[in-house]
Amino acid sequence: MHLSNETVTAPASAIRTAGAHLFWAAEPSPGLIRSMARHGQAQAVLVRETADGLALVAGYARVAAQGQLGQPVLARLVETADPVELGLLYLADNSLRPLDDAMRLAALRYFRLLLDDAQLAGEVLPCLGVTPGSRDAKLLADWLTLADSWQGHLAAGRVPLAAGTVLTRMDEADRLAVAPFFAELSWSRSNAVNLLTWLYEASKMTGRPVAEVMADSGMSHGPLRELSPKDAMARLTALAREARQPTLRAMQTRFDTAARKLVADTRWRVAQPDNFETNGVELTVRIADPGQLEQAVHDLQAMADRPHWHQLWDTTADHD
Amino acid sequence: MTDPSPLPSHLRRIAQVFVDESMADSPLARRVRHRLADSTHGHIPWTVVPAGADRVHFDRGADQALYLKEYKGKFLRFCPGTRAYHCCAYRIIHIGENCPMACSYCILQAYFQDRVLKIWANQDDLFTQLGEAFSADRSTRFRVGTGEFTDSLALEHLTGYSRDLIAFLNDHDNVVLELKSKVVDLSWMDAAKRTDRVLPAWSLNAPFINEHEEFHVSTLTERLEAARTCARAGFRVCLHFDPIIHFPGWREGYAQTIDMIFDYLTPDQIAYMSLGSFRCMPQLTPIIADNFPSATYIYNEFVPGLDGKARLLRPLRLEQFTFMVDRLRAHGMDRQLYFCMESSEVWQQVFGHTPRHLGGLANHLMARAFGE
Repeated sequence: MHLSNETVTAPASAIRTAGAHLFWAAEPSPGLIRSMARHGQAQAVLVRETADGLALVAGYARVAAQGQLGQPVLARLVETADPVELGLLYLADNSLRPLDDAMRLAALRYFRLLLDDAQLAGEVLPCLGVTPGSRDAKLLADWLTLADSWQGHLAAGRVPLAAGTVLTRMDEADRLAVAPFFAELSWSRSNAVNLLTWLYEASKMTGRPVAEVMADSGMSHGPLRELSPKDAMARLTALAREARQPTLRAMQTRFDTAARKLVADTRWRVAQPDNFETNGVELTVRIADPGQLEQAVHDLQAMADRPHWHQLWDTTADHD
Repeated sequence: MTDPSPLPSHLRRIAQVFVDESMADSPLARRVRHRLADSTHGHIPWTVVPAGADRVHFDRGADQALYLKEYKGKFLRFCPGTRAYHCCAYRIIHIGENCPMACSYCILQAYFQDRVLKIWANQDDLFTQLGEAFSADRSTRFRVGTGEFTDSLALEHLTGYSRDLIAFLNDHDNVVLELKSKVVDLSWMDAAKRTDRVLPAWSLNAPFINEHEEFHVSTLTERLEAARTCARAGFRVCLHFDPIIHFPGWREGYAQTIDMIFDYLTPDQIAYMSLGSFRCMPQLTPIIADNFPSATYIYNEFVPGLDGKARLLRPLRLEQFTFMVDRLRAHGMDRQLYFCMESSEVWQQVFGHTPRHLGGLANHLMARAFGE
C-alpha cells in the first residue's frame, strides 16, 4: 500500500504537474470549476514528496481548477516513486472516469514500457475495462504498434479502434498514403474498416502499393474537397470497393445497364441474386391493384421480346 | 545394432505420443511404438490418456503430437459436399484427423486448431463397420478414400494404416480405395492383391504454389515419380489440381505442371483427374492471413458461393479452368477430367457438357474407378 493517511495543503503553483503517468491529464471543465468554486475541493489529489517539492500523482484537473480559483490544494501523500505504482494509482484515482478507446490506448502506451504482456493483461487491462484476450485487447495491442499521429486520429474520433488490425497489416508507406483521409474526415466504424480493408486487399491482390491503387482509382484527395464530408466518404468507400473488386464491379455495371434497358418504362425490377455465380436473374414487381397487375403482365410480355436478356444471362462476357 | 533411422521430414516435428488407455496395447500402438523406437525419435515421451478424458492438451510451438485414439464415431461417411454444386460423391473412410504438413490453403487449419495428429487406433472396430457396409450387398460398388480429414499417406511410415486397409479390402472387390496424398510413401504397394482396386492419388499444383504455399511436402517431381512407379506396377493413378490458385504467373505455372505430368504418365494410366478452384469457409481466410502472412492469393476477387463458401468470381475461375482443360486435352486427357464442386454452368462453359451427360458425376467416376 502506497497511500499514506497524511494530507497536506499547498498552493497549486507549488505542485509539479508533469509526468508521463498523468496520461489522461486534461484542463478542468467549466462544470468542475463551478463546483469547486461553490463547494471547495471534495476529494484530495494525490502527491508525493520529492527533493524538488511536491509532485502530482493524480488530480491534474483539480489542481488546475484550484489554481484558477486561487485556492489551496488539498493533497494526500503517496509513498512511492515507482513508475508502475504511480500509473496504477493514477488509474485507481480515475476509476470512475468514463473511458474511451484513445484513453485506454494512452494508458497502455505508458505501461507497455514498464510491464510485459502478461503483466499488462493481469494488472492494467482490467482497470481499463478490457478483458484480456478479448477482441478489444487484441485491437489495442495492434494500436500500440502504430505511430503517435494515428493515436491522435483515434482520440479525435476520426478513426475507430476496429481499424487497428488492418492499419497494422499495412506498411508505413501504405499508412502514410491513407492518413490524409483521417486528418479531416470523421469515419464511422464500418466505413473506415471497409475503406482500409478494401485498399489493403486491393494492394495485395495487385501487388502494388496502396498509394498506386488509390491513384489509379481516382482517390486523390483534391477533387473530393468539393464534396461534403458525408459525400466524400461515400465516394471514397465506393472507389475503394471498385478497386477491390474490379471484375465484379464491371460485371455489375454491365448487368445494371442491360437491366435498366430491359425494364425501361415498366414497374419491373431485375436483380442478379448470387454474385454472378449462376446465370439466373430475379424479376420482381410490386402490385397494389388489379390494374397494376394487368399492366405488369403486359409489360412482362413486352420485355420478353427485348434483346437484352442475353446480356443479363451472360455477364461473364464483355458485351461492350 | 543398427543406427536409428531418421523419420521422413514431414514427421520430424512429432514430439509426443498420446495413447488412449484402452488402445495402449493395440496392434497399431505396438507398431507405432516399435517403428518410433527404431528411429531417431525413439526418445519421445508417451502419455497414456485415462478412460473418460475427452481430449488431450498439447501446445509446444511448432511441435506436433500423435494421438492414438479409440474412435467412437462412424468410420464410413459421405463426402461433405453440398448440393449446390456437383460433388464427386466418394465415400470417406475416416482413419484420423489433422495433418503433419502445412499448406497455407488447407481447410484443416479451420477444422483442427491444434497440432495433435489423431489416428483411430481401434482398427478392429473400423474393419467391422466397413465389413458390414461392404458385404451387405456385394453388387453395390464403393469408391472410397481416406484423404478428407487427413492426408492418406502422411503417417503411413509410422502407422501402416493404408497397408492394413488395403489388406482388408483385398477381400472386397466391390470397393476401390483412393489414397490421396502430398507425400511419397509406397510401402503399401505389395499388400494389394488387385492393382485395379487401389488408386494412388497425388495433389498437384503450379510449381510456385508447391514451393511457396506447401510446406514439408514432397516436390512435384517426387510425386510424379511415385505415380510413375505405381503405374508401372499396374496401378492406375489419380491426380488432383486442387486448389487451383489465381496468382501472378498462374498460366505459366499450371502449364508447366500439366506438361510435366506427361513426362511421367500417359493418359490411360490416369483413372481420373479433378480440377478445383480454391474455395474456403469464410472463417479460414483470417486464419490463413495470420498463419501465412505472405499468402496474397486470399485477396483475390472472392464472392460467397451458393454453398456459403468464398470462391473465386466465376469468370476468373472459367479463365483458369478453360486454360487448363485446353492444355490437358491437348495431351490426350478428356473423360478423366472433372470439376470438384462446380456448377452446371461452369461444366457446360468449359467442358461443353454437364455431369448429366456423363450419367451423373458419381456414376461416371465410379465407372472410371472400376476401369470401365
